[in-house]
Amino acid sequence: MLAYLTRRLLTALVSVVLASLLVFSALLAVPGDPAALILGMNAQPEALAALRIRLGLDVPPAQRYVAWLGGVVRGDWGESLQFGRPVAALIWARLGVSVPLALGAALLACLIALPLGIWAALRRGTATDPVVIVASQVGAAIPSFWLGLLLILFFAVELRWLPAGGFPGWERSVTGSLRALLLPVLALGLGQAAVMARLTRAAMLDVLAQDYVRTARAKGLPMRKVIYEHALRNALVTIVTILGLSLTNVFIGSIVIEQVFALPGLGRMALTAIGNRDFPLLQGAILVYATTIVLLSFLVDVSYGLLDPRIRYA
Amino acid sequence: MQRLIACLLALGVALGGLALAQDPPPTHGGSVTVAIVADPPGWDPSASTSQEIPRVVYHNVFEGLVRFDSAGEIVPALATDWSVSDDGLEWTFTLRSGVSFHDGSDFTVDDVIAKFERAMDPDSGHTNAAYYAAIESVESAMDGAAVVFRLSEPSRSLLYNLARPDSIIYPAGTHETQRTQPIGTGPFRFAQYVEGSEVRLERFEGYHQDGLPYLDEVVFRIISDTNARFAALQSGDIDLMAQLAPEQYVQADANPDLQASVGAATAEITVAMNNAREPFSDERVRQAITHAIDKDAIVQGAMFGLGTVIGTHMTPAEAYYVDLTDTYPYDPERARELLAEAGYPDGFTIDFELPEPYAIERRSGEVVAQYLRDVGIDVNLSVVEWGTWIERIFLGRDYDMTIIGHSEPRDINVYANPSYYYGYDNARIAELLAEAEAAGSAEEETAAFQEIARIIADDAVNVWLFSSPFLVAAQNDVHGFWTDQPTPNLNMVEVYRAP
Repeated sequence: MLAYLTRRLLTALVSVVLASLLVFSALLAVPGDPAALILGMNAQPEALAALRIRLGLDVPPAQRYVAWLGGVVRGDWGESLQFGRPVAALIWARLGVSVPLALGAALLACLIALPLGIWAALRRGTATDPVVIVASQVGAAIPSFWLGLLLILFFAVELRWLPAGGFPGWERSVTGSLRALLLPVLALGLGQAAVMARLTRAAMLDVLAQDYVRTARAKGLPMRKVIYEHALRNALVTIVTILGLSLTNVFIGSIVIEQVFALPGLGRMALTAIGNRDFPLLQGAILVYATTIVLLSFLVDVSYGLLDPRIRYA
Repeated sequence: MQRLIACLLALGVALGGLALAQDPPPTHGGSVTVAIVADPPGWDPSASTSQEIPRVVYHNVFEGLVRFDSAGEIVPALATDWSVSDDGLEWTFTLRSGVSFHDGSDFTVDDVIAKFERAMDPDSGHTNAAYYAAIESVESAMDGAAVVFRLSEPSRSLLYNLARPDSIIYPAGTHETQRTQPIGTGPFRFAQYVEGSEVRLERFEGYHQDGLPYLDEVVFRIISDTNARFAALQSGDIDLMAQLAPEQYVQADANPDLQASVGAATAEITVAMNNAREPFSDERVRQAITHAIDKDAIVQGAMFGLGTVIGTHMTPAEAYYVDLTDTYPYDPERARELLAEAGYPDGFTIDFELPEPYAIERRSGEVVAQYLRDVGIDVNLSVVEWGTWIERIFLGRDYDMTIIGHSEPRDINVYANPSYYYGYDNARIAELLAEAEAAGSAEEETAAFQEIARIIADDAVNVWLFSSPFLVAAQNDVHGFWTDQPTPNLNMVEVYRAP
C-alpha cells in the first residue's frame, strides 16, 4: 500500500508541474503584452518599455518560469501584474467563494443523484424508471450557465427573493454570503445531479444483475439486506469514481457559473488573469486547479483500496 | 432617416431636461450601487490610459486644476480662476485655499509643481506627455497662492488638457502608491477594493465644496457579463448601470421601476482599415468600401435606431462637429465601379477582425461584412480576444480591417501620427493641428479641426459608422447622475436618493 501511495503521489506532483509548464508556454504562444494591457491604448513606447522592465518581462521566459517555480517551492507565489498584490493572498481570498460553491454543488448533486439513481435502478421496468431517465437526460442537456440565467430571472428579477449576483464577503455578512451562493449552487449542482443519477442507476443495475445478488435473493435474504450489504457496497467503487469526477466537474464548471453570478471566485480571477496576461496570477490559479484535480483523483484511487480488498491486495 | 434620429435624440435630451427640472430636492445620506464592467488596471489615471479608470475616479476621487462638468464645459476645481497673458505664453491659475487631501495633508502649490514636472518628463511613466508638450516651466506665484505655466508657444488645447483625467493632482511624492491606494481631493475617498468584486467609496467629510457629496457611500460592483449586469439592475441589486446594450435600453425604458436615458457621448464606432497595406493603400478601394456600407441600416438593425450616423472622426457631442455624412453615401453600384477602376473587378479577400469584448462593434461588424460581400469583397470574419487585439492589431499594425469604438473626446489628432494603427500618413494633418494649437480665436481653431475632419473624410481613411449614444438606466429614486458623457465618467458627486 505504501509503495502504491508513493507512486501515486509522485505522479501527482509531476502532473501539477507539467500543467503549469503547459499553461506558461500556451500564454507565451498567444500575442498579448501585460504592459500594454495595463497602460491602455494610448500608452507611449517609453512608458511601455519601462513598465516591462519593472514587471520583469525583459527576462527570458525560461528564466522567468524557473524563477517562478523556485519561488513556489519557497512559498512565494509572486505578485500579480495587474493588482500589484501577492498572488497567494489574492487566491486565498477567492477560495472563500469557490470552495463553498464547489462543495455545495457536489453535495447537492450527491443528495439528489444517489437516492434517485438507486431508486430508479430498483424500479426498473416500472413507469418510474423512464421518468427518471428522461428527467436526468434533460437535466444533463441544460447548460449550467443558461440554468443560472433562468434562476436569476425567476428568483432575483421576478420574485426578488435572492440577489442576482455579487458576493458580500464572509466577514461582512455570513447570511448574505450564503444567500449569494444559493442560486449558483443550484445552477451548478442540478446539472451535475442529472449526470450522476444516470451513472448511479447504471452502476446499480450492473451489480443487481450479478450472480451473487441472484444467489443472495435465492437463499431468501430480505431485499433490504441484499441491496445494502451486497449490491450497494459493490456499486460504491463505481459511485466513488463518479463522485471524484463530479467534484472535478463542479470545480471546473464553477468558472462559468462565477461569471454568470459575478462571484469573485478563483475561476473568474483566472479568466481575468488570462485576459490581462497576468502570468504570475494565472500560474498560481492553475497550480491550485491542477493540485485540486490531481488530489481528488488521488483520493479516489486510495478509496478504491479501502472499498475493494481486491484492489488493495492486487 | 438620420435627421429623424437626430430629432428624436434632441427630443429625448429635451425631455431628459424636463425630467431633471422635476427632480425632487436633494437629500443627504444613503448609498448607491453602480455596475462597472471590469477591474481597471490600477486606479491612477495618470499611470494608464485605460478609460475604465476615470469612469470610477474622475471627480469622484481625484480633481485637477479644472474639470469638465456634465455639459462638457471646463469649470474650476482646484483652481478658482485663471488668466492668460496677451502673448498666450503665461497661464496663471489661482489655487483654491483650505483644500485637504484624503490623507489629511494640505493641498499646496508644491503638489501642483510636482505633478506637472512629472507630466512633462517622458521617463516618469506619466500618461500622454504630448498634452503637456507646450509647457516650459511650472512655478509658484503670489507666495504659493497661484501657479504659473510658462509655455514655449501658445496652446489652445492647454486648458482642455488640464481638465482631462490625466491632469489630476495628488500629494507630491505619492505616485508609487496611487495605483493601489488612490488619494485625491475629490468628494469621495477610496475606502475599500475587493478585486473582481467591488470598489467602495465613502463620503469625504473634508471636501472643499460645502454640502457635497449627497451620498454617504458609492459602491462600484464589477460584473463583467452583460446579462448578469442587467439582471442585477432589474432585481434592484444595482441602482445604476451605464453602457447598456441597445436592447437593454429598450427593456429598461419599458420597465416602470427604472428610468432610462439616451445621452450624447464621444465614441465613434470606426471600421479601421490598414491604409499601409494593399488593397487599402489605394484610396479608391477605401472609397468603394465606404460607398458599400449602409450606415443608416446598421444603426437601425444593430442599434435599435440608437445612434447618429457620422462621416468623419467626430461626434455631434463635440464643439467643432461638422456633418460629412454625404461624402461617400451608400451606393453599392458606385462601390463596384470604384473597385473595378482600382483593378479589382472581381473583388479581393480580406480578414476582418472583431474585438471580442465589444458587443456593439462585433454586431455592427457582422453587418458591415455582409455589405462588403454584396459588392464582391470576400470577407473572412473572425473574433479576436482583447490582449491579442492590442498587441497584434493596435500596436503591431498587423491586420487588414477591424472595428472599434474610439471613445476619447477630441482625439482627431491620432490622424497626424503615421505610426498609429491606421497606417495613414499625411503631413498636412500635423500642420493643421499646429495651426489649431496656435489659433488666435475659437473660430480659427474650429476651422482647422474641421479641415482635418474633411481631409480624412475625403481620403476615406476609415469608415466612421455612427456615434454610439450614452445609454444609462437607474432605479427611479436615483437622481443627479450624468446623462451625457463629455468625458468617460460615472460622476456621483451630485447624485442623491429621493423617492
